[in-house]
Amino acid sequence: MYALSRKSALASLARAQPLSIVKYASVRHISSKDLTPKTLQEDFPLISQKTASSPIDYALTSLDAIANWARKSSFWPVTFGLACCAVEMMHVSTPRYDQDRLGIIFRASPRQSDIMIVAGTVTNKMAPALRQVYDQMPDPRWVISMGSCANGGGYYHYSYSVVRGCDRIVPVDVYVPGCPPTAEALMYGVFQLQKKMMKTRITRLWYRN
Amino acid sequence: MSTSIVRTLKNIYKSGIKRAAWQIQTHNDTKSGWLVGEDDYGNKYYETDNIEEIHLRTRWVEYNDRWTQIDISKVEPGWHYWLGYGTNTIPPNLKGDEKTVRAYPLPEKHKPNLTNTTGAYVTYNTAKPKFVPWVPEVKERV
Repeated sequence: MYALSRKSALASLARAQPLSIVKYASVRHISSKDLTPKTLQEDFPLISQKTASSPIDYALTSLDAIANWARKSSFWPVTFGLACCAVEMMHVSTPRYDQDRLGIIFRASPRQSDIMIVAGTVTNKMAPALRQVYDQMPDPRWVISMGSCANGGGYYHYSYSVVRGCDRIVPVDVYVPGCPPTAEALMYGVFQLQKKMMKTRITRLWYRN
Repeated sequence: MSTSIVRTLKNIYKSGIKRAAWQIQTHNDTKSGWLVGEDDYGNKYYETDNIEEIHLRTRWVEYNDRWTQIDISKVEPGWHYWLGYGTNTIPPNLKGDEKTVRAYPLPEKHKPNLTNTTGAYVTYNTAKPKFVPWVPEVKERV
């Protein structure tokens, strides 16, 4: 497979016109085990990039915007603090960063929260608990993976007792890099997730796909 | 943010209705100060020494495309450091060894975070795989 795909990648390189090679910043690569990164097909618009074209589109867009605004403005994370990242997560709630002004309130119960912030190393022993807490959260729910350990095992990637990334257990929306990420970085991750929430097409998903 | 209505009205008078409305929309506050500098994007950086301002809220940025794209990653690293009160010297005024030298090349122009857009960074593997599937090659029979 490696040899075959490498051959095909080389063939596609030979086919490519020099002028069609776009700028480095806009090239997307497929995550694969190949030596040569392959470019991702990108001539189709993302769902979030589709624009309204008919009156019903505009009506539904406004409804979506209202629902999304309500969701992103009452951002209630369940705190899954596992390690030192949790300390930085606590800093976000302290007066310097003051998450309350953004409508972010830590809830101790997963049944009353929308977002899970996985802060720290997920060990094999903790993994079932993490999944259970995630399962207890009501829809719609989002997950922020905070720090190297939660993103991909980090420092403990080769440990016998650590999960190599919490995305092996729960679907993750935003990865915040860092070891640990600063409170500022976590807030930036929160803003990214809020942006993602605002782009959700709730009512339009069934109307036009 | 001081909650004095007098201060708010004063700042609205100084900034004008449109700019004050934008400031309330993005900063949740009205602010007035002097222009310190502008970066490649056209983001404008402001500072004030008004004693009514709260500690650590005397420096701010107003983005060039002000109504839509609010994103701190548009701020260049040097200006970000200045905004966070790491230094009092703005990036254009840095001289000689005050400038940061990085071990890796930086792009010509600072690039904002492209997450959630088509230009988003996607990881890829550069390591050679440890094993490859067997590709059968049948030799021609004599």
